[in-house]
Parts: sequence; C-alpha cells; structure tokens
Amino acid sequence: MRKQVGLLYTLPQILWLVVFFAAPLCIIVMYSFLKKGLYGGVELQFSLEAYTAMANPNIVLVTWRTLKISIIATVLTLLIALPCGYSIARSKNQAIRLFLVIVPFWTNFLVRIYAWIAIMGNEGFLNDILRALRLTTESVQFLYNQAAVILVLVYMYLPYAILPLFSTIDKFDFTLLDAARDLGATRFQSYVRVLLPNIKGGLVTAGLFTFVPIFGAYAVPLLIGGKDSYMLGNIIADQLTKTRNWPLASSISMTVTVLTTGLVFLIAMRKPREQKQVFDADPAFLQVAPDGKR
Amino acid sequence: MLRKGGVAARKFMPPGSSLSNVIYWAVIGFLFLPLFVLVFYSFNAGRQTTWQGFSFVWYQKLVMESPELWRAFTNSIVIAFGSALMSTAIGTLAAVGTARYSFKLKNFVSTMSFVPMILPEIVVGVSLLIFFAGVGLRLGLLTVWIAHTTFNLPFVYLLVSARLEESDPSIVEAAQDLGANEVQILFRIILPMAMPGILSAFLTAVTLSLEDFVITFFVTGPGGTTLPLYIYSMIRFGVSPVINALSAVMVAGTVLLVYPMRNFLKVFAAR
Amino acid sequence: MVTLRKMVLNLFGLALICTLLVLSGCKGGGQSKTLYIFNWTYYTPDSVIQKFEQEYGVKVVYDTFASNEEMFAKLKAGGANYDITFPSGDYVSIMIKEGMLEKIDKSKLKNFANIDPAVLAQCDFDPGNQYSVPYYLGAAGVAVDKTKVQSYDRSWSIFARKELANRMIMLDDMREVMGDALKYLGYSVNTTDQRQIDAARDLINNAWKPNLLKFDAEAFAKSFAAGEVWVAQGYAESIFAEVDKSKWNTVDFFIPKEGGPSYLDSMVILKGSKNKELALKFIDFIHRPEIYAEFCDYFGFPSTANIPARALKKGESWYRPEDLLNCELKKDVGADLEKYNAAWQAIRVGK
Repeated sequence: MRKQVGLLYTLPQILWLVVFFAAPLCIIVMYSFLKKGLYGGVELQFSLEAYTAMANPNIVLVTWRTLKISIIATVLTLLIALPCGYSIARSKNQAIRLFLVIVPFWTNFLVRIYAWIAIMGNEGFLNDILRALRLTTESVQFLYNQAAVILVLVYMYLPYAILPLFSTIDKFDFTLLDAARDLGATRFQSYVRVLLPNIKGGLVTAGLFTFVPIFGAYAVPLLIGGKDSYMLGNIIADQLTKTRNWPLASSISMTVTVLTTGLVFLIAMRKPREQKQVFDADPAFLQVAPDGKR
Repeated sequence: MLRKGGVAARKFMPPGSSLSNVIYWAVIGFLFLPLFVLVFYSFNAGRQTTWQGFSFVWYQKLVMESPELWRAFTNSIVIAFGSALMSTAIGTLAAVGTARYSFKLKNFVSTMSFVPMILPEIVVGVSLLIFFAGVGLRLGLLTVWIAHTTFNLPFVYLLVSARLEESDPSIVEAAQDLGANEVQILFRIILPMAMPGILSAFLTAVTLSLEDFVITFFVTGPGGTTLPLYIYSMIRFGVSPVINALSAVMVAGTVLLVYPMRNFLKVFAAR
Repeated sequence: MVTLRKMVLNLFGLALICTLLVLSGCKGGGQSKTLYIFNWTYYTPDSVIQKFEQEYGVKVVYDTFASNEEMFAKLKAGGANYDITFPSGDYVSIMIKEGMLEKIDKSKLKNFANIDPAVLAQCDFDPGNQYSVPYYLGAAGVAVDKTKVQSYDRSWSIFARKELANRMIMLDDMREVMGDALKYLGYSVNTTDQRQIDAARDLINNAWKPNLLKFDAEAFAKSFAAGEVWVAQGYAESIFAEVDKSKWNTVDFFIPKEGGPSYLDSMVILKGSKNKELALKFIDFIHRPEIYAEFCDYFGFPSTANIPARALKKGESWYRPEDLLNCELKKDVGADLEKYNAAWQAIRVGK
C-alpha cells in the first residue's frame, strides 16, 4: 500500500517526462536510423546514412573545433572561478559577494550577448575608446572569431562555475592550510596539495556545469562567431532548418547527447563519494540563485 | 544557512589571500561591464553606437511605440508563471513521493529527473520540435508552455527534494502517531515544511523560463513570440536602439526585484 | 505571517491564471478573426497591415523568417499554422509537391488583372497560378559604402578584393551565394552539373570567403548600417531600412552586371488555413494599385509585378527592372539539391 502511494505521487512527473522528454528522444534515435526525405522529414526505411555522413571531414572538423572551444573555455572559466570562489568563501560578506556574482546572471542572456556586440564591434565601445586615445585609427576587429566566442562563453558560464566552487570551498576547513604551512609548505604548495584535493568534487561539478552547455552552444557562436566559429549546435540547427536533413540532425544530436551524458555519468559513477558531491552540489548551487545565500 | 561554527572559526584565521580578492573584484568588473555599457548607450541620442548626446528618446519609444515588444513581454510572463506553476506542482509531488517512500522505480525517477538538466538545450529543442511535428501538435504558446514545463521539472524536483531531505522526519511520524491521515500530513505538515524549497523552486522556474531562448526558438509558432525571441530579432534586424533602453530597464528591474525577493525569502525561510 | 501567506497565494493565483490563459488561448484561436501571416523580414509595411486591419476589422499576427529554408522547415515541422506565407518560386513548387498549399480561387481576386503578364509568364513553378499569386520579383545585390570604398567594379568580383578583407559580408543563404558564383562563372543558377557546382564552391572558398567577415542572412543590413562592413551582399530593402535616411546618398546599391539569382516571391494560402476567405481578401488587397505602390515606395522597390501601381509610385527605386535582365529565376533542382548542400557545407563549415 505505502509503495503504491509513493508511486502515485511521482506518477505525474513520470508521465510528463516520458511523454515530453523520453518519447522525443526516442523519436530522435529512431530518425537517426532512417532515410532522409527529399524535402525534409524522413522516409520509413532503415539506413545508416546519417551516421556514415558524420564521417564527412567537415563534420569531423566541427566536432573537433567544438571540443577544442569547449575545453579551452571550460579551463579558462575554472581558472578564473577558483580564486573567485575562494575569495567569496573567505570573505565576511559572503551574501553580498555572492549577490554581486548573481545579478549579471539574472539579466537575459541575449541582452548580455548583445552588450558584447556593442562593446567589441568595429564601431563599438572599445574601438571608440581606442580611437579617442589615438591608439588606432582603423577599427580593431574583435568580434566574429573564435577568440571572441571563447571570451563570451567564459563570461556566460562563469557564475555556473563560481557558485558550486564556492559552496565546496566554504565547507573546507581552512585551518588545514595553516597546518600545512606550519609543517613547512609554501603558500602555493599548501593550496595545491591541501586545498585542491579537498575540493575536487566542486571542481568536477563546476567543470561539468560549464562544459556541457558550452558543448551544445548555439546562440553565442551564431551571434559572436564568424566564418570559422561554427559549432555542433549550429550544424544541428542548420541540418534541421536549412539543409532539411532530419536524420543527420538527429544523429549529431544523439552524438552530443551520448557524449555529454556519458561524461557526466562516467564521472558521477566512478566513486560513490564523488557521485554524491556531483549530484549534491547542484541544488545547493541553485538555491543560491533565488535567495542569494546558501 | 551558513554553519555557525564556520563563521566563528573564521575570525581567528587570516583573511583570504589578497590575490584572490583582486581576481574576485576584477571578475565582478568583467561581469558588470556589459551592463554598464548598455545603460550608457540607452541614453545615446544617435542610432548607432557612436555617442551623439544625451537623450531619453529610446525610453519614450520603448514605452509608447513598441506594442509588439509588450505583446512578447506578456507572452513571456504568461509562459513563465504558467510553466512554473505546472512544473512546481508536478515536481513537488514527485519530490514528496521519493523523499517519503521507497519503491521499485525510485532510482529510475531520480535519474530520469536529472537527465534533462544535463542535456544540451539544442538537443531538447530539436527533439521536442520533431516530436510535436510527429504528433501533429500546432506550434504556438501551448508548445512553448509544454517545453518550458519540461525543462523546469528537474530543477523543481531537485530543489524541493533537497529541502525535504533537510526536514525532520520525526514530525511526520508524530503526526502519524496522533492519527493524521495522508492528506492532512501532506497539506498540514509536509508542504508547509517544504514551502521555502517550493517557493525557491517556483522562482527558479520563473527565471529559467523568462531566460530561455534556444528551446523556445525551436518550438514556437504563430503568436508564440516570447521576449527573448523578440530581443533576438532586435539584435539581428530592426532599426531601433530601443533594445538598449529595454536592456537598461531589465538590468534595473532585476536588481530592484532580486534584492527585496532575497530578503522576503530569508524572512520566509526563518519562519 | 498572514501577509506572507497572502503573497504566496497571490503568486500562485497569478500563475494559475496564466496557465488558464495559455490553455484558453490555444482553444479559442480557431474562432476569432485573426489572420496569421508568415513573411520575410522587411516585406510588408506596417502601414499596409494596419490599413487592412482597419478596413476588415480583423487582427493580423505577423511573424517573420529570414530564408526560404527556415520558413519551410518551420511549416513542415509545425503543420499548417499560418494562413499566408511568401515562398520564392522554387519553394512554391516544393510546397505544391508536398501538398502544403490550398488552391486559390482567382475569381475572388478582382485585382489579379493588375499583375504584369510578363511576370505571370515566369511562373512555370506553378503553371496557371493555381496555388500562388506573385508578390514581388526582385534580386539580391550588393551595397557599397561609398565613403569607404571609392573605386569598384559593379561585379561580383568585388568580393575577391583582398584589401577589403573582413569588411565584406554575404548572405547565409546557399542558393543565393552559390547562384552568384555560378553566374559569375557564366553558368546557370540552376545547374546540376557537378563540375560547375564544384567550380562555384572553389571560387567562393578560395577567392571570396577569405575576405568575408561572415555569412549572415539576418544581421547583414544591421552590420552594414553600423559601419561594421563596407560591402554587403543582400536585399536593398533591408539595407535601406537599417541605414539612416541622412546617409542614403553614401550608399550605392547595384545588381552586378553578371546577374545573379532572382526571386519571384508569391503569396500562397497554406493547407488547413481557417481563414481562407480572409486570406484571399488580403491577397487581393495587396494588389490594389495604391496599396502596391505604397508597398513599393516603402521599400524602394520598382513595381515589378503590378502594372497600374507603376503610375502611382512616388518615390525612387533602388534598382530598375532592367537591372534584372541578366538574372535568372531560382528553380527547385530536386534531388540534385544534395550537390548544393555538400558544396555549401564545405563552404560554411570548412576552413
């Protein structure tokens, strides 16, 4: 009886997710094994074409580029977020410092992308300043290249990395650092040998929360990127809306899905303790957003 | 929810290294720079980004001459609250179910609730679009609402679950001993106890919904233009820098809204 | 605490109302007199829409797309959501084949007689205009900022000029850009010859693409107006809609002498439209001479499709109908589109 009650409570959610999440994913899996229709859609005929088409050098190139951009952006984000999280954790005004990180994060992300266009454009804010200072006469081309894409991606996902890092560092016993120093470690050594191993879980969570959305990025490369910045997300959208190759859109989507979820589960399942950290850090980090403190 | 011991202990420790503080403030500058630039340009009299004098003209246009923008805004609000309500209702029930009972599918439910969150948005959008096409559902506000409820669910489930885990199970046991039935326990004890979690889940859902562009972009149809979609079209085409004024209003709005909300929640949580 | 509880109740009450609004909005849609139009950005002036709304006492919902492909994908995926859309010729024939269009009762269009027979003669994608009514015949061209680029040849070869690198932009539109290259090489824009397509691909990849800032079918005009780029391939109406009127004399818009792909956009009624009568009224309304002239004047178009409107036009046009002589209408190339897709992918994605 009690078991049934529990199931009853969860039934609406199960149903909703089965219909609007699992079923669509299954359709994608199915479509990826079908033949493409001439004018979009699919023909009910088994085919591996969508997967062999992924061996196309162009798609391999984009996959590689997406991976490269995602890794660079994630590493940069973590490098910046780590000292930030540390600084917040050791501050007396944690709530205010967290609040400052969150406010820009609450502004619509397209508005923030637009702001970067206004800053980095040929006739934008930065070039205006450079010209006013007589450092250049012609505009410097900041936008529409991979570096600009990486910069804006780092900007977008910094808060995603800072918050979980903060919540892990906050649980760290800082007296351990003093102990290490007393035992003769330099300041740097004490961070690397004592702090880092203890906040591994937070680093992993922060890394995943940055890497996964960046790997599927669509809007940033579209708006900030140039002719060399197409990423997998753009290819998927193009196959669906322009080239009308739904099976290929599906097979690339499947690849992205398997890669990202696989990565998450691989890391999460490795050690029970880390798994708990990965899954736990998440609500904690989210709660920061609405009420400003954990 | 700071640990009290932590605060007390900190007094005896050296402050955070100055380098990390410098980086922190540099990052805050970096995070706020675009917002300041937008506010600055919103007062520009000219059309392009070059400064041509101070003016309120774009604010005037925003309020008086942008009916489509306000229609998109209304759509966004309707979708945000509508999808937040639905996902909060379903997600809270599921969280209560998995927190209080153990049953065969429990692990399955937890895992399945987690997966939509780690899937790239583009995949969720594309799969929903293909799904709606398959079942012949007309694209429009309804499909946007379904999509938003779907991506909100895992967040609601996790937030409410986290709150329920913190609560004391002995209260429920005491109520059961005193003869309370299932409905009474749910409405008189569990839901009030979980209320801060439910509320913050609801607000998170509202925020996520207001923010979403990629998924909405794929599943929207006639009459289903939300504010982010409208902003997108303003970035891509459209003559007017009204977008600067709109952005400035949105920045100010978030700051003004978020701060009191934070205090409101703090009071509520302490209850 | 009472007030807190009230606030929470109000919050949820608001949410409930919103949910009801979503659900009711979807159900009630069928009954109301609303015309759903899916159109290119910058293609029907707001003033024309407003006049139509006033005259017939209806509401028009106007959504936009930036390319035929985008429009088609959305309609294909979402079923027939809209009443009217504006595909180019090649897409009219695709949509007829896919059974997506309603037949048009021309007896109800008293202004159909205003349409230039020469334009109707070009409608071989829909012989006899059973499904489509021509809206506008035009072509994309090149806009040049004369303050930045003083001497230039009115040819597609402008995109090969290295000193203008990163100051030029082309549409993210396969048939348009491929068509430009094909025409420049002296081939047909509808060729299915693999060698010709490969030659066009190599021309774009090796000579043009290195000089381009990016491919963009949406923001090209805004980039041009903002001074980001000095040379833009695109549609005149978009360019002049974004550029400030005071600067119009600094912009030269031309259709290159080699010609390019031209488009004949038509108005079609989509299968499943709930407002067929109203849609017909809209199509007829567009071809009223004074309305068509208003539309052409607004965008600086020559009145290519409507004869009586030519006399009523007051403003200048950005190009003349004669400029289109070397252009060639895009046609549906069927399964051979795959060749174009492969070439375009190599251009868009490759190094």
